[in-house]
Amino acid sequence: MPMTDNSAGKVGAAPEGARARDRLALLTADNASVPLPAGVQAITAILLAALLIALPWLGLGYRFLSIAITTLYTAIGLYGLGLQFGQAGIMSVGHAALMGVGAYASAILSVQLGLGFWTSLPFAMVLSAIVGGVIGLPTLRVGGQHYIIITFCFCALFVIVLTNGGTFTGSATGLDVGSVTPLPGINFDKLSNNYYLVLAALFLALAATYLIGISRYGRTLRAIRENEQLARSVGINVDLHKLGVLMVSGLFAGLAGVLQLYYLRHISPTLFGAFPSLYLALMVMLGGARYLYGPLIGAVIVNFLPEVLNLDPVDSRIAYGVCLLLVILLLPGGVGAGIKNIYCALAGGFDKQGGGSNGRA
Amino acid sequence: MAALEVRGLRKQFGGVVALNGVDLDIDTDRVVGIVGPNGSGKTTLFNVVTGVHPATGGTVSWQGQDITNIGAHRIARMRLVRTFQQAMSFPGLTVDENVRIAWEQGRKSGGRWASPGMILDFVGLAPLGKAIAGSLPFGSLRRLGLAVALGVSPELLLLDEPGAGLNDSEAQAFAAVIAQLPPQGIGVCLIDHDMDMMSELCDRLIVLDFGTKIAEGPPAEVLADPKVREVYLGPDKKVGAS
Ligand SMILES: Nc1ncnc2c1ncn2[C@@H]1O[C@H](COP(=O)(O)OP(=O)(O)OP(=O)(O)O)[C@@H](O)[C@H]1O
Ligand SMILES: [Mg+2]
Repeated sequence: MPMTDNSAGKVGAAPEGARARDRLALLTADNASVPLPAGVQAITAILLAALLIALPWLGLGYRFLSIAITTLYTAIGLYGLGLQFGQAGIMSVGHAALMGVGAYASAILSVQLGLGFWTSLPFAMVLSAIVGGVIGLPTLRVGGQHYIIITFCFCALFVIVLTNGGTFTGSATGLDVGSVTPLPGINFDKLSNNYYLVLAALFLALAATYLIGISRYGRTLRAIRENEQLARSVGINVDLHKLGVLMVSGLFAGLAGVLQLYYLRHISPTLFGAFPSLYLALMVMLGGARYLYGPLIGAVIVNFLPEVLNLDPVDSRIAYGVCLLLVILLLPGGVGAGIKNIYCALAGGFDKQGGGSNGRA
Repeated sequence: MAALEVRGLRKQFGGVVALNGVDLDIDTDRVVGIVGPNGSGKTTLFNVVTGVHPATGGTVSWQGQDITNIGAHRIARMRLVRTFQQAMSFPGLTVDENVRIAWEQGRKSGGRWASPGMILDFVGLAPLGKAIAGSLPFGSLRRLGLAVALGVSPELLLLDEPGAGLNDSEAQAFAAVIAQLPPQGIGVCLIDHDMDMMSELCDRLIVLDFGTKIAEGPPAEVLADPKVREVYLGPDKKVGAS
């Protein structure tokens, strides 16, 4: 015999006046766990994919395409960060160093053993994953704030080790690699081909993020984010999953790092230090870590903002600071949340929603 | 042999002895009540049994296996599940997702529910499936806590003051749901301060005071026990006299 609930229905059936006010509140809310209709999700994905695929043909120039490549490999790293922070609630401010692990692993394998892009990629990704897990070990004993400090220290330490690594790491000068080993008929020296390589990897990262988001694994991570104690009490091995998601995040970081290496063809320690790490944290918060397109949006904003507004590096840092403040104050869920909320408001609140996935805009 | 056997269980927080050698036998075919004044160690008993806090001494065994200090998630997977005195949920997720998370864990080794929706129906939350758990009114939040615990397909459910903070009609509705659990094969061990409800609902009452079991038996007998009356009525008399 079901219980009677005198509060049932209040959420669904508000009077018209209250509903308008609710909609306003919804514009700034974080609605990551409210699913969008499957049709809307599919159309968004197709339009975005078409735009990204067509980009090199739009005649926007060499410089634009270069920034686009930077944006995309950064976004791949951000999808890892988005997974650990957005889904599992574990923030890192040393994520560039994890990309650096992948980049340097691949570069060293190339210099020392002559391994090319394709053969070194799996090793680099696995090494990043392992390092990600090892940095995560202390989190199991201490809280999330401590983990943030640990990641920051790791980042500083990583740069020191690289700078003092002699010829093995190339010291402060860094290391050089050749170009990506060509596939039959595709030469990656051509910028647009390099773009498509990075884009293909981004699509993989997006697909993986989407699939994790709608899976039992994604729900498990969100449970840990929302209430660790309750998660344990329903049978979730919280420690194991925390380490697991940090390792998955490391895989993404390794992939991004290797793509970065083979786009730049030269890497040095400063690329993976504190500033780049903080930028990654900034991007994922700006874009919205819990939203499917949040990390990409964050990467686009931070990489293209100085270009669009013609800012020098100092001005652009100020601009980022202002952006971050605005987002934290007005849109705690990030720009991704804002876009989804605007859509939901236009579509008439949340009552028209179909089933579909959850939490992805 | 009882399903849950607690022997000489001790728990100390610094100098505070919260449990001082408790022995319990709890079966999964009835409702057992645990009562006692504030701070007598009821919640601590649940916390130590379910692996939230390590025991200082003594053993807990469940279905013949020693589960002392083996970790909360492993105990839950053995279908010994608890709720919390503070109503708990995954606040940022929908009610549906809250229950689905628990249901997916319970299903790993063959759960009793065909779908999370059945659990929502059972506790009367089905109309609120799309609501965000953190925005639920308190009564519904309590019900969600029960739904999440049921999702794991427990064989024994430890409920820590599920009626606290509910109004009379809500508490009665809750009691009606709890009474339905043992016939479905879900044993219940219930902490509550409402003696009327406890004596109606429970087949057996256990009284804790200062971390020690001072009485155990059918509710009518236990409540007539002079030791129990002293624990409960002693301070009241003093208040009345002063
Ligand atoms: N995490 C903790 N750290 C330190 N002391 C604790 C902790 N948990 C409980 N205690 C102490 O243990 C004793 C028993 O507390 P417990 O919460 O088990 O009581 P209770 O019987 O559940 O009381 P109530 O009816 O108020 O819920 C109290 O003295 C309490 O202060
Ligand atoms: Mg208590």
